[in-house]
Amino acid sequence: MKEVGGYLPPCLEGVLEYKTHIFQRNQDTVEIQIPLLTRDQMDALTEIVKRNSRFILKSFTINEIVNIIDKSIAIFLDRSSKYRQKAEKLLPIITGYDEEIIRLGLTSYLKSFRKPQLQRFLVEDLGNPLLLDDFQPRPKGGFSKAMGPELVAHVWAGNVPALPIWSLISGLLIKAGNIGKVSSGEPLFAGLFAQVLVEIEPKLADCLAIVWWKGGDEERESCLLNKADVVVGYGSNTSLASLGTKIPLTTRFLPFGHKISFGIISRASLDSRKAWQTAHSAALDVVRYDQQGCYSPHCFYVQRGGSVSPREFARYMAHELECFEKRYPRRGLSLEEITANAAWRHKEELNIFSNSSKEVLGTTSNNWTVVYEEAGQEINPSCLNRAVKVIAVDQLEQVIDYIKPYRSLLQTVGIASTPKELFDISDLLGRAGVTRLTGLGSMTSPEAGWHHDGRFNLLDLINMVDIECSAEVYAEKFAPYVD
Amino acid sequence: MSQQEIMDSICQFIKRDQSSEEGFNDLALHLFAYQYKNNLSYQAYCLQKGRTPRTVKMWSQIPSVPINAFKEVTLSSNNPNEAERIFMTSGTTQGIQGKHYHPALQVYDQSMTVNFNKRFMKNSEKIRMGILFPTEEEMPNSSLAHYLALAVKEFGTEDSSYFISERGLEIESLITGLEQAQRTGEPYALLGASYSFVHMLDELEKIGGVFSLPKGSSILDTGGFKNNSRHLELDDFYDRLSARLGVARKDCINMYGMTELSTQFYDQGNAEIPSVKSGPHWIRTRVINPLTGQTVPKGEQGVLVHCDLANFNSVTTILTEDIGVEVESGFLLKGRAQGAEAKGCSLALEEFIRAKKGNSL
Repeated sequence: MKEVGGYLPPCLEGVLEYKTHIFQRNQDTVEIQIPLLTRDQMDALTEIVKRNSRFILKSFTINEIVNIIDKSIAIFLDRSSKYRQKAEKLLPIITGYDEEIIRLGLTSYLKSFRKPQLQRFLVEDLGNPLLLDDFQPRPKGGFSKAMGPELVAHVWAGNVPALPIWSLISGLLIKAGNIGKVSSGEPLFAGLFAQVLVEIEPKLADCLAIVWWKGGDEERESCLLNKADVVVGYGSNTSLASLGTKIPLTTRFLPFGHKISFGIISRASLDSRKAWQTAHSAALDVVRYDQQGCYSPHCFYVQRGGSVSPREFARYMAHELECFEKRYPRRGLSLEEITANAAWRHKEELNIFSNSSKEVLGTTSNNWTVVYEEAGQEINPSCLNRAVKVIAVDQLEQVIDYIKPYRSLLQTVGIASTPKELFDISDLLGRAGVTRLTGLGSMTSPEAGWHHDGRFNLLDLINMVDIECSAEVYAEKFAPYVD
Repeated sequence: MSQQEIMDSICQFIKRDQSSEEGFNDLALHLFAYQYKNNLSYQAYCLQKGRTPRTVKMWSQIPSVPINAFKEVTLSSNNPNEAERIFMTSGTTQGIQGKHYHPALQVYDQSMTVNFNKRFMKNSEKIRMGILFPTEEEMPNSSLAHYLALAVKEFGTEDSSYFISERGLEIESLITGLEQAQRTGEPYALLGASYSFVHMLDELEKIGGVFSLPKGSSILDTGGFKNNSRHLELDDFYDRLSARLGVARKDCINMYGMTELSTQFYDQGNAEIPSVKSGPHWIRTRVINPLTGQTVPKGEQGVLVHCDLANFNSVTTILTEDIGVEVESGFLLKGRAQGAEAKGCSLALEEFIRAKKGNSL
């Protein structure tokens, strides 16, 4: 199968060079051809997008933009649409994830960009979405307007399907021109989404672009980074640090580094009736995208004293993971990943001698691994791809000590607890650096309007322009109808 | 069996010209039983894998221990405090060194000399050697320092010398040495770490030094480079070596060894890249999928597992991080499987370790 990826404005002139990415899963192969622009073409592209953002995108009302996005999302939610079908067919080959995981993941993810959710999104950040259209009166006096930049550059990473459209949609909502650079791991979805947007509203054709180059290609990178007003970057701290050095001081840089997430399970959720459901939800969070997301759990802290003990809980989870393996098999791993997984598991197995309370659960095919630890432990990343630790704790608050040293790396906590425990521990977790608490089983589906890594989705992208009260009062003096 | 009996039987085995599958298997299983009994960490690990001397019938079923385990646990059948020598791996990102305990060096030394004589010396007379590595006294815990010292002691003439001091590469005395070798017309052997050779080449290129070492001269490098453009780099490396020293690429031997083993692998020169590596009859290599432990079909890439009978005290069977392919007369090295980056936005282990160390995040 061949597919042209990316998206370029039709008015970009010149002959295009294409780079082909080949993906293989089982017997299926797909070739994604993606344009690789020359330096001159990159320069022209940034100019086109900036110009059209200034004259076209900014002429839309926020309501119109919301409607365009809503209609595009509806197309991707409709399983009979050709775009949805293409995504469902190709993404498993590209990313290696199971078809069902992708189908369910896409739907649950895309649902957060329907009109009501987008409206919530806007109100969440801005209070009054009309701030994006016009100067709005402020309670203190004066007026303000939220101005989107001319060009937001997105540098995406990783292979979690469709993730890039989060920042792309944020960019659209603030009426900015957007140029996104997709990763080699998943170069398809962002381009498909751009095509649909333009199909719904042809006037957007020259307001955005989805491109690709090899990470670290300084020539192309600098073209984009020097001309963007805001750069949104995803990736490891190393790659973000290197990206940061290439961005002019006056350009706003929003780096989203890799994060670590985990689960907390109170004894309240571990009676004999509820424990299996708890284990099921925890396993689900592990299975979705094989723990590759920043919101995916690396370990679960499980409280002692329930009628199901943490050790038993580890076995429950092992059982659930084995069941999931039948239904949603793990994606095929590269030799590097296999080696990393084997090394992680071997290391745990080797420590059994010095730590006899430890238990390593898994099948010989090693499609998942659960390690049980008796003594509380600092949080430590798992090798991912369905490998988790279950760590016993006496009190939920103990967890704080184990995560404290890593505050800048923390993100989501999936929690199963009583309402009182939830609010008690949330404050402590927040102080320790956690930015999102969610029900167990929902770790990989952040709600619309969430604060990604504790930040604002839209506010960080815009500038507020204030008309101070004095300007208004002063102007009154010069009105032609002044008395 | 006692330790001495074990050592004796291995030395006997090494002295033979070759080994049958059966002979190798017998000794491997003996060693497994010995190590299982005397090394409790290893025993616990084998139990976890469900492999005990009762169930293991083939050398290929012996549970392999990942090289990282040498950092985590003490792998010694004998009391580690009584070791004659401990070889340590060079530092890593985590700053922990793996330790390989040798209660006595008798087996290591015999394994090294018999194999070296055959593969590098080609059973010829002693040769004048130049060593591009620190001495054994300077690096008592380096297996390579010991290896090279042994090479000089057993196979080097008396005027062999070291060209690495605490100040680094002694380029001037090296040049003098090379010039002298050129003058005498007697074969010369230059041995050392690959990166020292690179350093030497850089220096020689700076001053335009070109030599033509006498016929019968040879080079042995080991250690390789940490770089992904391995293929190109290796080709370039041997081209430069050959051009600067006048030694044909077929006489540039690469040794593949590791601190965790007691036996080395060699190729038959590097006229072509990648060269086929092979070991003597007391070590066997499998190419496996490390998650399942199954041997991959011949010709496919996998990770190398070595079963080294000279590793009598630690563990015979080592799971490396080296990617390789089995070929007719040995295996090809295809680089290292290390530090898989996360595919998504979740934190990878290596990055976490860096964050922990630097605390700068």
